[in-house]
Amino acid sequence: MSNSNFKTEFINGMRAGSPIIFGFIPVGIAFAIMARQAGFSILQTCGFSINVYAGASQMMAVGMHNQGASIFAIILATFFLNFRHLIMSTCVFERMQPASSKLKLLASFGVTDESFALFTTEKEERCTIAYFLGMNCVMYTSWNLGTCIGAIASDFLPVIITASFGIAFYAMFIALLTPNIKTNFRLGILVVLTAICNTALVQIIPPSWAMIISTLVCAFIGIFTVDLDSKEEPANE
Amino acid sequence: MNSTEYILLILGMTLVTYIPRMLPAFLIDKMRFGAKSEKFLRLIPYTAISALVFPGVFFVDGANPLIGIIGALTAGILAWRRFPVIACVLASIAVNFLQYSFL
Repeated sequence: MSNSNFKTEFINGMRAGSPIIFGFIPVGIAFAIMARQAGFSILQTCGFSINVYAGASQMMAVGMHNQGASIFAIILATFFLNFRHLIMSTCVFERMQPASSKLKLLASFGVTDESFALFTTEKEERCTIAYFLGMNCVMYTSWNLGTCIGAIASDFLPVIITASFGIAFYAMFIALLTPNIKTNFRLGILVVLTAICNTALVQIIPPSWAMIISTLVCAFIGIFTVDLDSKEEPANE
Repeated sequence: MNSTEYILLILGMTLVTYIPRMLPAFLIDKMRFGAKSEKFLRLIPYTAISALVFPGVFFVDGANPLIGIIGALTAGILAWRRFPVIACVLASIAVNFLQYSFL
């Protein structure tokens, strides 16, 4: 891969990752406020986002600490909560064109729900490591910027604004799914089935496990019911 | 929390998060997938994203499920009409801001 290609793909990735800014900055702020209230210093709060880089588990960690949980319990819970990334990372790297080990060590740090969703729904020819790194450059910066802002100025944003941004991740996930459902009816049915399956499962088992089970079981069902290559591209594209 | 405890906590959380993210990047080259396994991996994004949205989207606002439902519908309708992802995200944020302002 030539240098100029890498640069172009990196910038394309940054552009693709840009919707995330509106999700990561406000949620980063919310995390930092929680962490500060749980007694972590400004530097400690930022340390979570710089090193762990996993929103849900960071929030869970400061919540558990606040309730007096042991370090071991928090680490174990983090492991279970983030175990889904093993599956997501498999999909990301299966789709990605070959790349050097060094870059893969760096890129795999950026496998999150959001980067996985963006990358694996992208056209296959765009799935290079430069594209993935560009995407993650925007995401990692936003997450840490949000954390920083929240840690320093815990209450400068009115609640109504931060609350309005709560929909951002869901809106992005829905926007990524919808065009695929539109052109593939059977895939749409499978997506609805997964939604029902997961909604039922969270009533009886922890959400992190419910998500893994409904994802895998429904994808397995899809092997026999969905034709991924039958997509009819609409004429207006 | 003192510094030693904090460093142990961050180190532990970082490792248990990073290792599952990193392993597949290096194991995937050593694996050969049949047609069915490959299809399975290609379907996971759709089922995983669906599971990330449902039922979570109903609890965007702990007290009022309508906040999440209307925000999600906004994004869904715009995406159906082929608006870019960023437009869907911004529109749903705006709609939810209006919901919070007037409800």
